[in-house]
Amino acid sequence: MKIDLPAREKVYRKNSGILVSLHLDGWLMLGIFLLIITGSLIVFSASGADQEVLSRHLIRVGFAFILMLVFAQIPPNLLRIYTPWVFGIGTIMLISVLLFGDIGKGAKRWLDLGFFRFQPSEIMKLALPMMIAWLFAHDSLPPPNKKMLIGLGLVGLIAGLIIIQPDLGTSILIAMSGLFVLFFAGLSWRWILSAVGLVAASLPIVWNFYMYDYQKQRVLTFLDPESDPLGTGYHIIQSKIAIGSGGLEGKGFMGSTQAHLEFLPESTTDFIFSVLAEEFGLIGVTGLLLLYLFVIGRGLYIASQAQENFARLTAASLVMTLFVYVFVNIGMVSGLLPVVGLPLPLLSYGGSSLVTLMVSFGILMSIHTHKKLLTS
Amino acid sequence: MGMKNKHRYQTESEIFFQKRLFRNRIYFALGFTLIFFLLLWVRMGYLQWVGYKHYHSMSEGNRISVEAITPVRGRIFDRNHILLADNQPVFVLKFSKDKIENLQDSFSLLQNLLPDLPKERLSRFLERVKVGSKYRPLYLPYTLTEIEAARFAGHSYQFPGITLVAKLKRTYPFKESAVHAIGYVGKINQKEFTQLSESKYAGTDVMGKLGVEKYYESILHGSPGLQQIETNARGRVIQKLESVPAKPGKDIQLTIDIRLQQYIEKYLDGKKAAVVVTNPKTGGILAYVSTPGYDPNLFVDGISQTKYQELLKDHNRPLINRVINGQYPPGSTIKPFVALAAIENNIISPYKKIFDPGFLEFKDHRYRDWKRQGHGLVDMNDAIEQSCDTYFYELSLKMGVDLIHDSLYPFGFGHHTKIDLYNESVGILPSKAWKRRVKGQTWYKGETIIAAIGQGYFLSTPLQLAKAISIMANRGEIIEPHLLKDKEYVKKEQIPIQNIENWEKVIKAMMDVLHSPRGTARRYGRDLPFKMAGKTGTAQVFSLNEGEYDEENIKKSLRDHSLFIGFAPVKKPKIAISVIIENSTLKAAPVAVDITKYYLSELQDEN
Repeated sequence: MKIDLPAREKVYRKNSGILVSLHLDGWLMLGIFLLIITGSLIVFSASGADQEVLSRHLIRVGFAFILMLVFAQIPPNLLRIYTPWVFGIGTIMLISVLLFGDIGKGAKRWLDLGFFRFQPSEIMKLALPMMIAWLFAHDSLPPPNKKMLIGLGLVGLIAGLIIIQPDLGTSILIAMSGLFVLFFAGLSWRWILSAVGLVAASLPIVWNFYMYDYQKQRVLTFLDPESDPLGTGYHIIQSKIAIGSGGLEGKGFMGSTQAHLEFLPESTTDFIFSVLAEEFGLIGVTGLLLLYLFVIGRGLYIASQAQENFARLTAASLVMTLFVYVFVNIGMVSGLLPVVGLPLPLLSYGGSSLVTLMVSFGILMSIHTHKKLLTS
Repeated sequence: MGMKNKHRYQTESEIFFQKRLFRNRIYFALGFTLIFFLLLWVRMGYLQWVGYKHYHSMSEGNRISVEAITPVRGRIFDRNHILLADNQPVFVLKFSKDKIENLQDSFSLLQNLLPDLPKERLSRFLERVKVGSKYRPLYLPYTLTEIEAARFAGHSYQFPGITLVAKLKRTYPFKESAVHAIGYVGKINQKEFTQLSESKYAGTDVMGKLGVEKYYESILHGSPGLQQIETNARGRVIQKLESVPAKPGKDIQLTIDIRLQQYIEKYLDGKKAAVVVTNPKTGGILAYVSTPGYDPNLFVDGISQTKYQELLKDHNRPLINRVINGQYPPGSTIKPFVALAAIENNIISPYKKIFDPGFLEFKDHRYRDWKRQGHGLVDMNDAIEQSCDTYFYELSLKMGVDLIHDSLYPFGFGHHTKIDLYNESVGILPSKAWKRRVKGQTWYKGETIIAAIGQGYFLSTPLQLAKAISIMANRGEIIEPHLLKDKEYVKKEQIPIQNIENWEKVIKAMMDVLHSPRGTARRYGRDLPFKMAGKTGTAQVFSLNEGEYDEENIKKSLRDHSLFIGFAPVKKPKIAISVIIENSTLKAAPVAVDITKYYLSELQDEN
């Protein structure tokens, strides 16, 4: 009996035993599982029933799942203590990528450690928001303006390091994950509105002086897909045909002619949503959106229940980052947004972004299941 | 961290305010998410409900796909419009993996039908098809003979997904001739594929890999056209719709004279050697010879592993581009440049005589002349003509290595010649700063002594020597050696001249190398119908300190290289040449003289 010991963790009676002992959240797990199963089915269909592709996907999912389990075991306090270190190492890696990185498609994004290659910006997707949350850990929200400015400076630093790789898309997404923390920490509306105004006003300047030709090209193709029928414009046209021809009920599982007849590019990764929309129609799409909404809602609930600033800010920001990824990917394949190479979370054929995502789910679960008993 | 100490308990009102603030933000985020998801949902409704008919007919009725038309690659000509790289129509087999029912069966059936298909290549290709994308068609890297093509056409019904297509294949009619200059095209590999612009290389599976083919890739390649193709639901072509024609690559003309090139290659007969012939006025390269060579046609379809290993393991190293990557000690060939630097900078009078007892003693070390008994009293003219080492040993001590460096630099030593080829080696033009930077050590005077005769750290490529001798022939006008005929440089820089007489004196001494009774190459210049200036040289492969150089007892591969640089005619130079024969299997001087003779008598008028 542990009655004499100071109780550290709240016993989680609502859920069954095995989930509690593994520090997992049942509802979140349910959402994740359903999304992964959907994803695996679509990957299988989009690859033309290629079992090899499917099994490789499942192996990666399994690996990512194990990482999630591991991270769920780490109490938020420990995560908080290590955050500045991880952030520091990540920053050094970003700098070394610029100095000695591998060049793929003209951009320095990869770091080669001999035995494996990875993108340090992947670490920053988690490390940046967590670092800013660490900064505010012991303040009363909203934190003093000085700290807000430091947080803003960190966002600028990391976004800047990634922008010169050059990787505009990733840099914007990572900057947003940091900005979300500032938002949840209570950045005043006046600041937010003036920042939005400032960004809008500076867009022409960025366009003229800071964008590479290929980036401009993407935006131009987005505005007029017909102008580049062999390149990205063609992709968007074909993707819209796939989605639109799905209709209300879809063509049925394995029925995506757009994918099977090679019209749809990257059909197992960036454009996987189009395959789902073609095969399962508006009904399937609605279901998928609801599923994502459920996961996001559960995530925000977990954030609202967190007891400390670090935990609640990290949780809320990670959840909103997930939202942004979903929105940007679906917006891109349906022609609402310009083409940025971005997978659909939990559905696309597994890559390093899947790993990052599952780690962030692990952190969410850890936050929800490692709670102190409120003594007062 | 000190965080714990800073941590203070919040007041009741702070806790309340913070809770309310965070809750509000969460609500806002949730609302934000809902609105944007609604936006996505509306968009989907628009596409899938309102737009359904439109998109359905686009997807269902017929399928129009866009296929790229491969542009015809630009051809390469020599300076007299003789074709060096051509495109020939050939038959190949195209594999569309998604339409092949059973890969293994199709392949063994194919092997039976066409027994001459190289087995190893076929099985390697099978592996490639197995792992390759389902949707990107692959071409078997094998050119079918007409008989094989006819046989396959008759049995094509047995091979769904495998089609006979006509393609243009790059061919090099002169085979190994000038291969190191022209280079070759080859299959685009995975790494290159990720770096290429997708729309520019749609429908193309080869690109320039080496030489001019690589350097002028953007000119030669052209840009692909578009063909809209209507296919049925199984992907079979029903009809071809409108098309945008491909823009063919541009033909290019080189400065090379393939007749001179072949004359030299035949002369050298596969010995390890490099020869560069330029027109000193323009810097245009008339012959670019690195022997032995290899047949670039082997690489176009992808070379077989055994053949490639053979080339790699060949002791004569045919794959090495000796002209720009062979870095040799220039030896005595740099003496005229050192002498010029000395008299232009008033270090020594050209008439001043120095006594050569056969060696120079410096700091207890004896630096030997190649002539044991010495040359006696020599002035500058004698020193170049007879290649006296001791004279230059003395001179170097007066000059110092940095003056030698600064004077030789404008002749092109130690840096890129700016030739239109990639991966040029730059050699080494030593200086105090160079040694500090690269070796982290200070310079010793003894090193200056051997640098002055082109040994020690000194390294240069045959191309650098050709550039330097061209500039000497031009009396200081700096040219950039190049292979593209259009690349005539309007603006040429000039090495500042103190006294043009000094240049003429050095050139006169170089003329005496061939035409005076004591010149080191007198045997070869005797009956020439024109005047030629030049300098012989020897590059040590194996450094022998105080010892004797005994040609008989040294392994052939360690024997010294034989060098020669020169130009002719002396008054109005039309040709400049640099020759390196590895391990002296031939003497470089007669090779250079014969090439010059051939060029001036047979070819010069036409060029």
